[in-house]
Amino acid sequence: MTRPFILSASVAEPAFAVPDHARAVLQAAEAAGFDLLMLGRSGERPFDAQVLVAWAAPMTTTLGVVATVPASKAHPFHVARALSAVDFLATGRTGWSVVPEGAPDGMAEDMIGAARALWDGWGSDTLILDKESGRYLDASKVKASNYKGAYFKVAGPVNAMRPPLGHPLLVIDGDDPIAIDDADIALVSDGTAAPQATKRLIKVGADADAAMLAERFESREIDGAHFTLNDALSELPQIGARLAALLAPRPAGNLRARLGLPIPSTASNQPGGAVIPEIA
Amino acid sequence: MMQNQIHLWAFLQGIGFFPTGWKHKRAKPEGVFHMDYYARVAQLAEQGRFDAIVFGDQLQSRGAGGRAPERLAMPTLDPVSLLTAMAAVTRHIGLVATVSTTYNTPEMLAERFGTMERITGGRSGWNIVTTAHPDTAPNFGATELPPKDARYRNAVEVVARACELWAAMDREGPELPQGRPVLVQAGQSPDGRDFAARTAEAIFCPAASIEAGVDFRTDLRSRVTSVGRNPDGVRIMPGLSCVLCGTEEEARAEHTAILDLADDALAIEYLSESLCCDLTGFDPLGQIPVDEILAKTLLPQGDVARSIVPGAEKGTPLGEFAANFMRHPRGHNVFIGTPEQMADMMIEWRDAGACDGFTLQPSYMPGGLEDFVGQVVPILQARGRLRTDYPGTTLRETLGLPAREAVTA
Repeated sequence: MTRPFILSASVAEPAFAVPDHARAVLQAAEAAGFDLLMLGRSGERPFDAQVLVAWAAPMTTTLGVVATVPASKAHPFHVARALSAVDFLATGRTGWSVVPEGAPDGMAEDMIGAARALWDGWGSDTLILDKESGRYLDASKVKASNYKGAYFKVAGPVNAMRPPLGHPLLVIDGDDPIAIDDADIALVSDGTAAPQATKRLIKVGADADAAMLAERFESREIDGAHFTLNDALSELPQIGARLAALLAPRPAGNLRARLGLPIPSTASNQPGGAVIPEIA
Repeated sequence: MMQNQIHLWAFLQGIGFFPTGWKHKRAKPEGVFHMDYYARVAQLAEQGRFDAIVFGDQLQSRGAGGRAPERLAMPTLDPVSLLTAMAAVTRHIGLVATVSTTYNTPEMLAERFGTMERITGGRSGWNIVTTAHPDTAPNFGATELPPKDARYRNAVEVVARACELWAAMDREGPELPQGRPVLVQAGQSPDGRDFAARTAEAIFCPAASIEAGVDFRTDLRSRVTSVGRNPDGVRIMPGLSCVLCGTEEEARAEHTAILDLADDALAIEYLSESLCCDLTGFDPLGQIPVDEILAKTLLPQGDVARSIVPGAEKGTPLGEFAANFMRHPRGHNVFIGTPEQMADMMIEWRDAGACDGFTLQPSYMPGGLEDFVGQVVPILQARGRLRTDYPGTTLRETLGLPAREAVTA
């Protein structure tokens, strides 16, 4: 497939928690061709982004919605459940980005490890839903993760299915000290060491130069751009218009298929996401 | 305001009230994994002028003795996420999520519900639970649940602190349309009832008969009055399931047919879950293995003994006991009859002071909700007992409560 230029942005306006404003921003992001909209960012999280991605799910059809998750003010059992539900509601269009938010060293990594273990406690093909035989699921595919980290000990299994994406896209902000080397996407700043990730997006302001981005994309230095927005409603359409030439049509499918992001083999015990059997 | 108006809540967690519900020919068990299903049922409840949709919750996966049950509908997805998504496709209906005070900090709760309150435009509610299942603790790094009295003491503090945090959020803006979510409670024990009386604006309860409903509501209203609150500011909403058909005879046959969807294996699976002890290896035709159950159960032994010893003393075989156990899941009233009879019954309960309304628990989904909204709602409306339009936009307005109220916890 054609290598996609990934277009991403973060919004951290308190007004995004108000329905009329949030609706307009989501529509603007989709209309402008954005692949990812991250709700909140490190140091600016004026709402519970996990709640807002749920609300955004039925409001959007192609946009990937990424929730910032504070390592210090969340629990992996709740996080794994919430993101599983949202990924079903959004048919495989979710992501998450763990932000330290004052957490002690290692807590963000622990959050990531625990949530991944919980999602891996359910096999992709667990559900059977056969009314005739009375088998709802295959019990051999449900396993307790018994995750034990420095901060979180989570027995599982989680009371939530493996998400359609397998794992929601993991986005790491390279300016945060998180020691994870198999994220799906790293957001990187010029002149700083970038964490290992499948794709690298350069962090830029709303006025970033399209020709510069195109050149760095062609040279494979970056896989796309992440815009830090201050006034989303006016900036989203402008960015979309300026970068339109870079945005090729995406293949059909969930967010991993659209962006060429298979689950890293080190991140999960299985390659696929949950399959829901069709009922006649 | 209509006299003796009936409030309706829809309890829509999972795939219906009966453990067999997912096998019904009109059930859509795959629906619980799709947004289309949640949009459809939320819009149906709004069309039926329900006050609110409520989702229960557990913080543990099903699975007695470490074995996941194959025949029961699971897992259940996160209620805050499902309800918030339903808000995006509705305009009026309230959205009440069950969330634990034992396994969330006040900060987490305030942030989660504060955001939900804003993005739903003031339609959020919190069903406050302290979490009673022993399998929950190991999911949160603990070996045991705190004892009940400690859980309730903690709940009082957590709710009070969350309310302070909401007040601060509201001052900072954007405003929380109701000031905070509507507070809901479902405790049955004396501790639970006292907590509800101090805190809740709506209360669920099981009430298997009109007398049980009158007793519960009278008791709760007196507890509410004794802590200085107005009992008319608290809605008592017992659970109600139903099987509706054109004649009473057909409804009885349909009820039997729903129960008959359970083979021994499913019935024993359900009993295993309820007793927190894996019974799937025992002979359905054999005796109830009382000693093994009491030795293995993770629940308080006294509670378990009370539910199994009478059957064992009568010599009821395990399979038959399990099938009987499933006839009345969770002690709620199950109405079986015609839509007209159901409307009569609901009006009778309301006029007798047995409730302020009902928490409908459809027997299977979405068919059970479709039948109620299509057949019973128009009768209640024609008799002037159910609103034909919403009075405002927030859940508090829908409940007929003052627009904003400070917590008294």
